[in-house]
Amino acid sequence: MKRKHYLIWACVLLIVLSVMISSWKISSRKEENLSGEEAVVVGIGSETGGLDPAGNIALTYLTYSVTALDELLTYNESGEIEYRAADSYEVNEDFTEWTFHLRKDGRWSDGSFVTAKDFLNTIQRALDPKSGSGYANYLFPIKNAEEIYMGEQDMETLGVSVEDDYTIHFSLEEPCVYFLKLLRLPVYTPSNSVYATEVGNGWDKNPDTSLSNGPYYLEEYIPEQYFTLKKNPYYWNQEQVKTETIVFRFFSDQQSLQSAYETGEVDIATGLPSSSAELYAGEPDLVLTNSIATRYIYPNLSVEPLDDVRVRKAINLAIDREALCKMVGQEAEPTVNFIAKYMVNSSTGQYYSEETEPLFEENVEEARRLLAEAGYPNGEGFPELVYKYPSLELDTDTAQVIQEQLKQNLNISIQLQPQELQTNYSDRRAGDFDLCRMNWTADFADPYTYLSMLLSNGTYNCSGINDPVYDKLVEASSRELDAQKRTTLIHEAEKWAVGEQFYIIPLFSVKTCNLVNPDIENLHTIPATGALEYRYMERKE
Amino acid sequence: MIQYMIKRIVIGVLSLFVLVGITFFLTRAIPGSPFESSNVSGEVLEMMENEYGLNDPVIVQYGTYLLHVIQGDFGYSYENPSQSVTSIIAEFLPVTIMTGGLALLLAIVTGVSFGIWMVVSKQKIIQRALFSGTILGTGIPNFVLALVLIFVFGVKFHWLPVAGGSEWESYILPVCSLAIYPASVICRMTAHLYKEEMKKEYVVLAKAKGMQWERIVWKHVLRHIWLPLFNYLGSAAAFLLTGSFAIESIFTIPGLGSQFVHAISNRDYTLIMGLTIFMGTVVISIQVLVDLLGAWIDPKIRRSYEGQ
Repeated sequence: MKRKHYLIWACVLLIVLSVMISSWKISSRKEENLSGEEAVVVGIGSETGGLDPAGNIALTYLTYSVTALDELLTYNESGEIEYRAADSYEVNEDFTEWTFHLRKDGRWSDGSFVTAKDFLNTIQRALDPKSGSGYANYLFPIKNAEEIYMGEQDMETLGVSVEDDYTIHFSLEEPCVYFLKLLRLPVYTPSNSVYATEVGNGWDKNPDTSLSNGPYYLEEYIPEQYFTLKKNPYYWNQEQVKTETIVFRFFSDQQSLQSAYETGEVDIATGLPSSSAELYAGEPDLVLTNSIATRYIYPNLSVEPLDDVRVRKAINLAIDREALCKMVGQEAEPTVNFIAKYMVNSSTGQYYSEETEPLFEENVEEARRLLAEAGYPNGEGFPELVYKYPSLELDTDTAQVIQEQLKQNLNISIQLQPQELQTNYSDRRAGDFDLCRMNWTADFADPYTYLSMLLSNGTYNCSGINDPVYDKLVEASSRELDAQKRTTLIHEAEKWAVGEQFYIIPLFSVKTCNLVNPDIENLHTIPATGALEYRYMERKE
Repeated sequence: MIQYMIKRIVIGVLSLFVLVGITFFLTRAIPGSPFESSNVSGEVLEMMENEYGLNDPVIVQYGTYLLHVIQGDFGYSYENPSQSVTSIIAEFLPVTIMTGGLALLLAIVTGVSFGIWMVVSKQKIIQRALFSGTILGTGIPNFVLALVLIFVFGVKFHWLPVAGGSEWESYILPVCSLAIYPASVICRMTAHLYKEEMKKEYVVLAKAKGMQWERIVWKHVLRHIWLPLFNYLGSAAAFLLTGSFAIESIFTIPGLGSQFVHAISNRDYTLIMGLTIFMGTVVISIQVLVDLLGAWIDPKIRRSYEGQ
């Protein structure tokens, strides 16, 4: 009996020992860093993807890069060019040959100079499908880039040349008036050609090799917990950078993030649910930012009766977007546009959505009339359509409201089918739906990011749109060199697709709810995406 | 006994293989791709899948995968291509073991002591309070409890941090939330076993001989209670040491449970498989161990197997 007694104590001892060893391992790999004096702690979503601009990246990289890296040039909030790694550029008359001159005082965080080769380094590595870069297609305007990616051409034929250490030249396949807007995308940012030699060798999250050419550099990276950025002592624009240390902490649960803000564990909490906005309404902490995104529904054109433009129009006119947004929460704002409501036209300084009359007006009477005309008076004989959407809170609420509105206004039934996110993506890509929810966040600050999606050969054209009139309008807009004429073409294309053919059912644009410690100043937003920009922020004394 | 041991181990290994097979085909059967992100274009996605052999027939992929696993190569994560699956497990295992292990210890200590107290206490109110406590403990899901704890101790009183695993204080709330359920079960089991045990003749004899109550409990009763508890502890350990997704994400603890769920939603095939194999091994080994120890400790069980 005694022996057995020992055995049980031995088991308990084993558990104690393993706990002790684990806690020792955990504490030894962590040097206390979260409570530095000047550090501003930002709570962000959970860790996704790596930090290599040429690799498989997602939100974590985007947060890191807007704070730590300098792209060639970017646009500020009023739509003007802000030079960063480059100090000037030239372009030929038909917008196919672009030359960028790098600033001579641009330096990496180890003190070495930033050269044109570092920009080429990212581009070349991203053009290998093994890289896992989801942004590679944004390199395709460059001569031969697509052929190289598909393995049909050699890397030597790529239309990017390095003329000297400070000059990089791009030759494009065809005129691209929005090329400058693409430059903020990861695949156009530099990666140090000494260390960043391979996708997936771990250089990107190792502070010794993960250099940056912007205001901050990576000091520490603890997977799934946090990463710390420190002010880059070699940065050319030092005076503007006021905060010494920024810590980004990962949170996979929004409620926990809000609690951590309330306990003071984070200074800035981003991407909170709309319930936080209600809780903090009227407080100085609440900062709502406009995402440059549109949430809409794809009606499948190969499914009867959605192939009938009258039916699509009827559904569009029967939805009360104002009521919908009131029901689903503070973060939604009604829109009848396809191009994101808050995308700025850099040639006029106005929002695209405000430059023209609304594309259509909601009208239940007219919707009923159209439905009757299409052969479904009072919804009789109308088949039950299936609406597929990701089972996220906002989309679920939206679906229920739309189901109710369509039943009330048109007497038609929609069957709701919530899906796991990836399942929804793949059904959408396969065109396996009647109605499917879609959300598009602008990748770059030009309407082409939206309009190109509905092109007959567009990779996001999931609903079988095949419209030569539209294709011609969009093609013309992407080649038009005169800014005013181009704006007109863009509006014409949007009007045709949304207000005439009703290829999509636009619903709302989304606001992001953030909580910011009122002591923090100079927090800007990035015009292209609407995300917060931390590089110039400062804590009040 | 040795025959029984071999039999149990062989069955364990076989179940692991079945688990690997089923998981592999299931991960390939669910729609989606490790490279699918919201804005990736179709042709780029297809090229990447080709490059990584994801468009080969599933059976071919399975064969290749098994070959690699047998050589000890679990591959690299698709999501974080710079990290091998083994290094990810090694990175997140200590946190899971620590929270799970602490929760297990806490559950044993509180469960056994409250269980005995519940029976011994002469005050009805304590008995009732403890009993209702165990009902709540088994009835309330741990994530609800976690939110209540965060609200009370973090947000209201500011006593304890609510997020992250950077200092020891931040482990208090998650460990408590994890421990409540097993503690309640252990408490009720102990109370029941203790009551039964106290009725037995040897206890009556010991009491009649004038032995002190503490001595009877410590020297005789407790060791009898341990044996049946041991079986439950096996499954509790398997549950706690493989990580809890809900608790880990609520407290943002970087453990295996949350890795597993992220891997599934990102379709990170290699990581899903690696974690399945690892957790499967842990669970199956604990079960085999509990069975073998049980047989070794209890001659009755041993004899029943030997008699077969």
